[in-house]
Amino acid sequence: MSAPLLETRGVWQRFGGLIANSDVSISVAAGEIVGLIGPNGAGKSTLFNLIAGVLPPTQGTIWFDGKDVTRLPAAERCALGIARTFQVVKSFETMTVIDNVIVGALIRNDKMRDARRKAHEVLEFCGLAPRADKLARDLIPSEKRRLEVARALATEPKLLMLDECLTGLTPLEAQSGVALVRKVRETGVTVLMVEHVMEIVMPLVDRAIVLNLGKKLVEGKPTDVVRHPEVISAYLGDRHAVGA
Amino acid sequence: MDSFTQRRRRDLILAAALAVIAACVPFFVKDVYVQNIMVLTLMYAALSQAWNILGGYCGQISLGHALYFGLGAYTTALLFTKFGVLPWFGMLGGGVISALIALALGYPTFRLRGHYFVIATIVIAEIGFLLFHNWDYAGAALGIDIPVRGDSWAKFQFTRSKLPFYYFALVFCCVAWFITWWLEDSKWGFWWRAVKDNPDAAESLGVVVFNSKMGAAAVSAFLTAIGGAFYAQFVSYIDPESVMTFQFSLLMALPAVLGGIGTLWGPVLGAVILIPMTELTRSFIGGSGRGVDLILYGAVIVVISLARPDGLLGLFSRRPASKGVSQ
Repeated sequence: MSAPLLETRGVWQRFGGLIANSDVSISVAAGEIVGLIGPNGAGKSTLFNLIAGVLPPTQGTIWFDGKDVTRLPAAERCALGIARTFQVVKSFETMTVIDNVIVGALIRNDKMRDARRKAHEVLEFCGLAPRADKLARDLIPSEKRRLEVARALATEPKLLMLDECLTGLTPLEAQSGVALVRKVRETGVTVLMVEHVMEIVMPLVDRAIVLNLGKKLVEGKPTDVVRHPEVISAYLGDRHAVGA
Repeated sequence: MDSFTQRRRRDLILAAALAVIAACVPFFVKDVYVQNIMVLTLMYAALSQAWNILGGYCGQISLGHALYFGLGAYTTALLFTKFGVLPWFGMLGGGVISALIALALGYPTFRLRGHYFVIATIVIAEIGFLLFHNWDYAGAALGIDIPVRGDSWAKFQFTRSKLPFYYFALVFCCVAWFITWWLEDSKWGFWWRAVKDNPDAAESLGVVVFNSKMGAAAVSAFLTAIGGAFYAQFVSYIDPESVMTFQFSLLMALPAVLGGIGTLWGPVLGAVILIPMTELTRSFIGGSGRGVDLILYGAVIVVISLARPDGLLGLFSRRPASKGVSQ
């Protein structure tokens, strides 16, 4: 098979005495939806930030699309095709929705007119077109999540990274969020998502990677992962029993 | 989609109309004192527009722009008095020097965030002031008296009438406005607003935050120095106290803050209200009231930040995206 789109090789991250990631090696193939799960403090967000380029890992390398991107800053990774959303939404509050998305579109479009057209397409795709001229700060929370996704998609990524973008939504909002993620994948974009809400993630992802205490615990089909004894004891056990 | 283009066109037409009106005003206002205030108002409108590019759009609040203002004034005055270089070249040279210094200073300071950046700008401008205060070649504390060589556009000297200065200030103001207007709908304009609102999100969308700030600083410093060069010619005598003090930094920031920070019209509106007010209180109260204008600034800042953090433009339209215009 062809090389994976994204690969981390033996990645470590230490914050002082705390080891947030130890020897994590994961890979994501083009076209997949992969879920990165694990209990609080498992190191999901750290790994996510290492891949997005917020900070370089203490040790290990990160490969994207056949290139070593370990030392590249976030902006350059975006240019290569990695886009992300933020767990705590980071809209450009004083800008309109369309202007928010144009910022993303500018990386592939030199002319303002092209960037604007692209932004309108993406808003249409994400179902935010009616809100285009609103200020971002006037959106309701679920719309802000959508705007995060729209902005990231406007950069025309190969890999879209979603950081708990379905957490904290009402069941109905979450369902339409799931539909959006499926739609994104149909356009050929690979998706890596960190999630907490098992009930939503498990049916959505092709493959789940479970982290615990900074280490990779298990990976595989979601149906296998949730039955894995180590996963149940580490994290899913109680929650799953309650959910089921 | 079209409402956006329409709004930009409407801004352009409004600006052209205002410029024509401003150009006609001297036909009706012959009083030299009032003309003087009008020249200063236009100059500060332009300077504040320049400040607004870095402080308003890009969100990097500088309270040290007096440095670039002074550099523009000194470069022009020094080149003219020492080497006979025409002020126009001094003006350009001052602009380039200021832009380069802004880049050199931005290199370390743009890694600072929030209050630390503001403090750094104040300190750096103060160092600049002290350097010029002690630099004998540049007249030190005594400053530079620009010798009168007869009225001409080439030497940019006019002793008999203020009108040439008025028209230059008007053009300067229009150019600064137009540059802002043009930048507003450009890559840079979008990057700057993104950097101001959320640098982390901007970076994740491919915006190189550091470079964006550097670009804003260079444009802002260049335009500010042009204003400084103009001021040197206008008053024909400069010393560190008259071009490089903290008060100038404030006077460049305040109109934008008052009118609407990070907006196209904020600096113009703010300057039209603030500068005449300052000049008038100064002349009413006279020499004994030195400092009263500063008390006024303070009052303005307090009132604005409490009542209208968006600036006065916020009174006219709560929403910049104009609803009434579509279709």
